[in-house]
Amino acid sequence: MKRTPLAVALAASAALALSACTGGGTDAPAEGGVTDLNIGNFLDVTSWDPSLADIGFDGPYLSAVYDPLLALDEDGNPTPVLATDWTVSDDFLTVTMNLRTDAVFSDGEKFDADAAVASLNYLKDGARSSEAYLNVTSVTAVDEDTIEIDLSKRDDTMLYLMGLGRSYMMAPDAIAAGTLATEPVGSGPYTLDADTSVVGAEYHFDKVADHWDAATYPFTGLSIYPILDATARHNAMLSGQVNVNYADPLNQDQAKEQGWNISSKVSGWVGLQFLDHTGKDLAPLGKLEVRQALNYAFDGAAILQSVGAGSGEVTNQVFPVGAGGYDASLTDAYAFNLDKAKDLLAQAGYADGFALHMPMSPIFQQWQPVVEQTFGELGIDVTWDDMQMPDYQINAPTYPMFISFLAMDANPQATVARQVTNVQWYNPKPEYAQFPELASIVDDIQTQTGDEQLASITKLNQKLTELAWYSVWYQANNMYYSTEGITVTPITGMMFPTLRYIQQG
Amino acid sequence: MIWFTAKRLLSGVVLLVLVSVGTFFLAHLAISDPTVNLLGGTYTPEQQAALAHKIGTDRPLLVQFGDWASHAVRGDFGTSWRNFQSVGDQLALKLPVTLSVVTFAILITAIVGTAFGLIAGLRPGSIFDRVIKAVSVVLFALPGFWVSLVLVIWFAVQLKWFPAVGYVQPTQSIDGWLRSITLPAVSLALGAIVAIAEQLRNAVIAVDRQDYVRTLRSRGLSRARVTVHILRNASPAALTVLALMFVGLLSGAIVVEAIFSLPGIGQLTNSSSQIGDIPMLLGITVISIVFVVIVNFLLDLALGFLNPKARVR
Repeated sequence: MKRTPLAVALAASAALALSACTGGGTDAPAEGGVTDLNIGNFLDVTSWDPSLADIGFDGPYLSAVYDPLLALDEDGNPTPVLATDWTVSDDFLTVTMNLRTDAVFSDGEKFDADAAVASLNYLKDGARSSEAYLNVTSVTAVDEDTIEIDLSKRDDTMLYLMGLGRSYMMAPDAIAAGTLATEPVGSGPYTLDADTSVVGAEYHFDKVADHWDAATYPFTGLSIYPILDATARHNAMLSGQVNVNYADPLNQDQAKEQGWNISSKVSGWVGLQFLDHTGKDLAPLGKLEVRQALNYAFDGAAILQSVGAGSGEVTNQVFPVGAGGYDASLTDAYAFNLDKAKDLLAQAGYADGFALHMPMSPIFQQWQPVVEQTFGELGIDVTWDDMQMPDYQINAPTYPMFISFLAMDANPQATVARQVTNVQWYNPKPEYAQFPELASIVDDIQTQTGDEQLASITKLNQKLTELAWYSVWYQANNMYYSTEGITVTPITGMMFPTLRYIQQG
Repeated sequence: MIWFTAKRLLSGVVLLVLVSVGTFFLAHLAISDPTVNLLGGTYTPEQQAALAHKIGTDRPLLVQFGDWASHAVRGDFGTSWRNFQSVGDQLALKLPVTLSVVTFAILITAIVGTAFGLIAGLRPGSIFDRVIKAVSVVLFALPGFWVSLVLVIWFAVQLKWFPAVGYVQPTQSIDGWLRSITLPAVSLALGAIVAIAEQLRNAVIAVDRQDYVRTLRSRGLSRARVTVHILRNASPAALTVLALMFVGLLSGAIVVEAIFSLPGIGQLTNSSSQIGDIPMLLGITVISIVFVVIVNFLLDLALGFLNPKARVR
């Protein structure tokens, strides 16, 4: 999944112009509920081919036309869809899945074990989808409705990633034809109406008459509008063109005036990503006191209010607030205290601060003043190396620390993998193994299951906080507006929820 | 005339080659490893190498350029690194959107700007002339994106006469198409109208003072025929500005397409830049230059038609 920085900025004048607007309004729901769902998404579909799609925001598009093997519940746990149930072998190296037998692809092909194997092998080789199947050695059909996935080593994130959007099943003939990028053929609740859709502007869908899971998809009509600009999305909502919108928190007051439903959930953490915990390149960062000082020095609540329009949760953890592994008792572990930060720096031998370079890109400039001001208070001399966003993702990990806005996962095992142990663009050389107290907990996590494992994950979170592994200022929300009669359930890990989380009511 | 045309075409080709070469190497200099952005957060070195091989960035830069150029001269701009679809196909989808809006904006600009400029120029100092000047100052001062937002709020959100966002293809509905491009075109045209009107007004005043105009009047030609002569001699300056505006409006479309969520070249440029989709950026560059060359060529022809002296260059 692409770890897209989530920063959203709105021109103040545009906000003023919009705040002056009082017109528009929402259409009252029809008797029996709203029948047409018109979504304003913030990006165009990357590709209709699930092997090339970005599961962060492609969810509404792909979940319209494809059924996945697995989905996620609100807590990030895999739930059955086309796979009715599954078992993991005692050695964690084989996953056996039983499949539905009543799903049919839109080209008339029947969904069965062979089709599932064809899709999974295609996804395993996909440029973007392969992230879910890094440890898969083979996928085989056991019988008509059973498949077996063999792994080279235990992988606690595979099922989560499959549920997040990496297990969409495609018609075997369409895979072979190589036409999925423009002509999706799945067994989903809708089919793409290519005749009325305008690529890049609006996609219209026809409801499948006898879909096996029709109750989960109550809307008769479905249209998705990729609207990149936040103001344009808001205007589309005001004018009634869309009735669900990826929202800008700056418009919350007007949304309330309009009587829209507002739903939100934490989606990413904002703060400083430390990449040199041993002090190899920047000696001060190898000192615990310095990292702790950089936690005490930032007033997360004030930053959230001023930069994030107050839409989020103040915390110092990378585990989503309320999710498994999160420990509420740690929230005040580094409550804002500039004097304490200065004392800690002095204890570490850096009373006069130190000098460092940090990368900067336009999207992170909204936090640049607060870092500069805070570092100034501590005597830290920062030199900003400006670069454009594509280069930021390449170069930022070569610095000892950088300002980050990183997506989070509801699933605690996935959080351990993506924030601590696995190679990511923002963590190219995971350092946990060089800290025995962390390595031993990670070892435990990788051999345990269930509650025992969750307890160890919480313990890991406590140790990470104690070691000031990051400087987290707050967790920012993803926010959605919907008109009366439609509810959106946000899922941490999905930038835009899949259709099963958009319901009447 | 043939030599004049050949020289214009040749200079256009040189411009096309120079800008394309510059864009290719600048883009590759700016984006050192495109696979990082394309793969996103989670990938192995093997996946990265496989993608680099797939998109060809594992080859020396000169080899990549030779490959791209040899295909580009045949009209094949390769495949997008974002979705692995043909760049040409995607440009063919997006270009009509931008051209619809820009052409409509130019049409509005030409008609309204000419009318305002002519009336103001024939009656300098009149109330109409002063109103045009005052409106010009105001429209010049207002930021284009703000004007666009106000238009959306009034005509789409409040009155619901036009859609706030989106684009309808003319093959689906002519009425829907016109409604979808009207507000964006008007947004683009407002600033351009006053520029053309101002330019034409000054030219009309200058031409109106020429001896041959006085002679035409003294010979008893009708007011309308004299006006036609004045307009023909005053129009080259406004025409030049209009042609420059066509090029300017192509880039201005980036903002308008964002505000009205139009799936045009501007939006494509924006998204391709963010992810570092170099083949798409190169395709956009080439197609933009082609339009600049064509518009300038047509301008030269038009100026040559209006003023024979302009052909001897």
